[in-house]
Amino acid sequence: MKKAFSIIVCALALSLSVFAQDSRGRSTDTIVGDVLARMPEALASDLQSDMLDLAAAAPESVVKLAAMLVDPSEGENSRVEYALNGLANFANAPGNEQYRAKVIEGFDKAIANGSNEVITAFLKTLRASFEEPVPEEVAPAPSKAAARLAFNESKGDARARCEALYGLEQAYGSVPESFVLASVADPSRKVRGTALRRYAPATDDFATKLARKFKRMSPEAKVDVVNWLGDNHIASQLQLILSCFASSDDALCSSAIEAAGKIGGDDAADALIGMLGNNKLGDKALKALMSYPAPLGEKVEAAMQDATGEKLEKLAQIAGSKNLVNCADKVLEMAAGGSEAALKALGNIAREDDAPAIAKLLDQAPEGSIDLCAKAFDKALSHFTPNTIYATVMGCMDNSVNKERFYPALASSGIDAAVSELSSAAKKGSKAAVKALGNTANPKVIPTLKEIAFSEHDMDALSDYVRKINIYETNGDKKCDALALALEESTDVELSKRILKLLPNTPTSKAFYVAASKLGDSKCKFQAADAVRQIASKCKDDLDISKRNEVLNEAIAVYQSRGGADDGYAVDEIKKLIAESREPSPIFTLSKEEAAQGFEMLFDGTSLSKWTGNTEGYRITNNEIYVTAGYGSGGNLYTQKEYRDFVFRFEFSFVRPGANNGVGVRTPQGVDAAYDGMCEVQILDHDNPIYAGWLQPWQVHGSVYGIVPAKRIAHKAPGEWSEEEIRVVGDHVTVTVNGEVIADCDIREACQGHNVSPDANVKNPYTADHKDHPGMFNEKGYVGFLGHGPGVKFRNVRILDLGEKSKKKFAR
Amino acid sequence: MDKSRRSFLKKTGAGVALFTVAPRTAFGKMGGDNSYIAPSDQLTRGIIGVGGIGNSSSHFVSDQHCRLVALCDVDSEHLENTFAKAKDRLGVTPRKYHDWRDLVHDPDVDIVHIATPPHWHGIMACEAANAGKDIFCEKPMTRTIGEGKRVKEAVKRNGSIFRLNTWFRFKDTFYGLGTTVEPLKKLVASGALGWPLTVRISGATGFTWKFYWTGKENLVPEPVPACLDYDMWLGPAPFKPYNRHRTHATFRGYWDYDGGGLGDMGQHYIDPVQYLLGKDDEFPVKVEIDAPQQHPDAIGIWRSITYTYADGCKIILEGEGFESKGKVPYIEGPLGKVFKGFECTIPDVMDLINSLPDPEPTNTDFLDCVRTRRRFSLNEDNGYHSATIVNMGVCALRLGRNLEFDPVTQQFIGDPAANLLIDQPMRGEWGNYLK
Repeated sequence: MKKAFSIIVCALALSLSVFAQDSRGRSTDTIVGDVLARMPEALASDLQSDMLDLAAAAPESVVKLAAMLVDPSEGENSRVEYALNGLANFANAPGNEQYRAKVIEGFDKAIANGSNEVITAFLKTLRASFEEPVPEEVAPAPSKAAARLAFNESKGDARARCEALYGLEQAYGSVPESFVLASVADPSRKVRGTALRRYAPATDDFATKLARKFKRMSPEAKVDVVNWLGDNHIASQLQLILSCFASSDDALCSSAIEAAGKIGGDDAADALIGMLGNNKLGDKALKALMSYPAPLGEKVEAAMQDATGEKLEKLAQIAGSKNLVNCADKVLEMAAGGSEAALKALGNIAREDDAPAIAKLLDQAPEGSIDLCAKAFDKALSHFTPNTIYATVMGCMDNSVNKERFYPALASSGIDAAVSELSSAAKKGSKAAVKALGNTANPKVIPTLKEIAFSEHDMDALSDYVRKINIYETNGDKKCDALALALEESTDVELSKRILKLLPNTPTSKAFYVAASKLGDSKCKFQAADAVRQIASKCKDDLDISKRNEVLNEAIAVYQSRGGADDGYAVDEIKKLIAESREPSPIFTLSKEEAAQGFEMLFDGTSLSKWTGNTEGYRITNNEIYVTAGYGSGGNLYTQKEYRDFVFRFEFSFVRPGANNGVGVRTPQGVDAAYDGMCEVQILDHDNPIYAGWLQPWQVHGSVYGIVPAKRIAHKAPGEWSEEEIRVVGDHVTVTVNGEVIADCDIREACQGHNVSPDANVKNPYTADHKDHPGMFNEKGYVGFLGHGPGVKFRNVRILDLGEKSKKKFAR
Repeated sequence: MDKSRRSFLKKTGAGVALFTVAPRTAFGKMGGDNSYIAPSDQLTRGIIGVGGIGNSSSHFVSDQHCRLVALCDVDSEHLENTFAKAKDRLGVTPRKYHDWRDLVHDPDVDIVHIATPPHWHGIMACEAANAGKDIFCEKPMTRTIGEGKRVKEAVKRNGSIFRLNTWFRFKDTFYGLGTTVEPLKKLVASGALGWPLTVRISGATGFTWKFYWTGKENLVPEPVPACLDYDMWLGPAPFKPYNRHRTHATFRGYWDYDGGGLGDMGQHYIDPVQYLLGKDDEFPVKVEIDAPQQHPDAIGIWRSITYTYADGCKIILEGEGFESKGKVPYIEGPLGKVFKGFECTIPDVMDLINSLPDPEPTNTDFLDCVRTRRRFSLNEDNGYHSATIVNMGVCALRLGRNLEFDPVTQQFIGDPAANLLIDQPMRGEWGNYLK
């Protein structure tokens, strides 16, 4: 595409024809070429200025652009299409009228020049955007006489009668009442429904007229009228509606209940409450009261005093659903008597003072109502502070024979003491305690859940563990590790699917391969395919490209086996990922010069055989070392040999923002090289905003950490490689990055010989970080990469051993 | 079914309906949902477009309440496959139609289910209404504002019942909200959040705009498969050389047939917002876009689309990858905010919501609406309004500029080119059906 385009531009540039020039002296060809190179623009302002250029060069610009269009079977048109469409939109925009004529002229010429049907059709569409909109053709309203005639003739044909009503509305402005009334009496429900819904005036007057006819109407028509009265909130006919409550026609009664609920008012509420005990329509009345448009507290409380049976149960339900706390006494009494509706209601309206009574109910509840009691108790406790909840619940448990029933309440306190209490019960085998831990909002539940999930293969515990990890684990790599382990452990398909959905949030190679391992699992292969696709698109660097692509091809096969529309897009996306795969780094060999000088290749891309330490956290991927190791004595990779004076050369690349590592110099293994080694030369993506404002000068990239600051350099873009050389001769350290010396110092001089505080003080006034560096004067030691989290890559690592005797500067 | 008997029932429908009231009630008492329904009381349905949603498990059904009696598709493979499926799985033998007009005018069809790409919706809905049918239409309601207006009028004129098939305003967990729309509707209506409100439909609040529904530029013409009547597939859309990506399953990426992720998901996401803001009878007065330059054929992505109502309420759509950072409220008013998962700045909000009246009930059983001639909860009127919100955004994207809308004339203000997108020309004679 790019190539084809530049050929076009060259051809244009070579053309000898001379056209008008713009204010910058550009010819139309140049303007067109410049704009095309920028199509499509990402920003509206840039597009505006491009199109202004094109418009000013119209009509030639249009003609030239149009001439570049080719038949779609012979080449690509998209840039030209973007440009022409953009230009048409620019010139047809309000405020740009002055360009319109020229642009239109261009389109007209281009259309006249055109011979290809597809291209001409495209140009005509753009040309059409300049036409004046034709006002909508409105059919003339029928005369009143014609509309009346149509109505009379439509008798017996429901659709025609509806159309006739429409015609009457056109002719009269609104359908005269007599026609609406006649239609409401129509035998066809379609006509009745349409007449009422569309054309009946929602007035008391019209409603009165309907009411007069009501008695003589068919049962179905009565339903239609009552529905209409309710839909239009005709309060003046409430009595008519309420009179239908006594009807033996269930359909009519049901409609009346709904209508009364919509209209509202005291009478409606009383009547609806009265219907609550009705066998068939009690539920309908309940629903109507739920949307009753005014507070119901007093009415429900009053009604509860002498209601019984089903009616009382429904009143309790309303009290709960509508948070009628004033009814709580009665509801509690009902609950004590075994009413389930009342127990459920307490879940919404239990008060602080109700806690002891509800605790008693919970303790003695039959199996079937434990959950409801627990919820009610929870509500009563919700008025307390966490510590009071804990104390109260522990008190209840002391007197209880069913301690486990109080675990959920204990969990709701969320405090550490509750976690310990529940953990110890869980470890003693209480399933209820495990479940409660899962419901405790406290990260300290994680170790116990983990222990139980893995040692007892308890899928419920594992599921809770996964949830907690997802909420509380902030370190992405640790989260990924935990999820990966959980996925391996999971024998629950739904849980596996859930984990596969979470994995892309921590897009690491580990997540990728764990997800990949499920591609063959018929029960969750689609979730696995989604996961590998998403991870691969986010995590480009720590995956071995050929292995990655192998997995991605497997995922394609999974998607294709299902073959839906979204699958097609997923396959396209994966193919794009594969097509865009970068090349792995080459295998490096020493240059002739370095070979002659005596350099030794420490890492050429193939093996870490010359290294020791954490070879897991320094993984070879794409012939590069990809670091995942974290900070600490286990996070380091060391040379196998010890060195005194040396030149250490390598390339590094940051792939995650803010990546951190370091090179340890003359260090023993397994210690902090910055202090117990001679020094650590910092490796840091110091420009990342996370370091803004607090990073010390002696912490920037290339610094002898804590001792001598380096010159702050601007790092290359993520993924690009930089060359670094660290030269250590005696006490002298020289750091060179991409050919620029950024640190060159004698570290013994830098701290005036005081690597440790002379008076054994905590602070060492002589070092930049005011710390002791006991290893600074080490005579020799290992060279190593010092882990501080993932996101940095190394390659082409080599070293020149200057030997112990070298005191002089090594000649460059 | 015997066609002549059916026609007889149609002609004398009203009288027969009166007749059957008593026996139906009697049967109803005997046996709940599986009670016997006389064939004359059964409704019938025909589906136009059986390659995608029309062939999905929720729609490819037939039971005694509503029998599937006709199928239509311009792809003979889709038609034959679904016909076989109807026989095997549903035990019915629907009539097969190539031309949707034949299905619409089949006297045995009560309900026309429009499941084609959106560029057909307006034409088909108008013709179905004019044929006296009731209509079950997939979202988006129409591809242009003008088509929506015509559908609204045709449905009214013919006394039809129309259902637009999205449902979040009355049921199901509403994406990022983690609940149904109902509690939010109550909260908003109570005024507890203040006014005006801003609603943000964004990845940050739990909504995805499906940016993979984009088109491809530089499509190379391909031979039309023998099973596909491409001319009839295009119908009112301008002729463009065939490429498979234009058609089945991927048509959403082209302006001629749909509106990308915005067209596909827009009404799903926006209609409930229109409902909870109480704006079923209003239109936004302004649409502002932030988007890369759009191609004239293939739909691209966008960064944001902001709609503003006359009272200052806003609906902000944020494209995938361009979401607001940090904790972003789904709905924000001067007195409170609601976040994803119904987290709210108002203390004890659920207690407050419980104590408020439920929203007034609406009719959410389509077949019942057809029988009792009541208006469905999401119908040609409120559906036209939410479809227009989507289509206003489409117009602005296509032109690459902000637009102002006059809710009275339902035209854009001072922008003739934008108004050309309200009523777009149709190929051949298809425009004649839009009345």
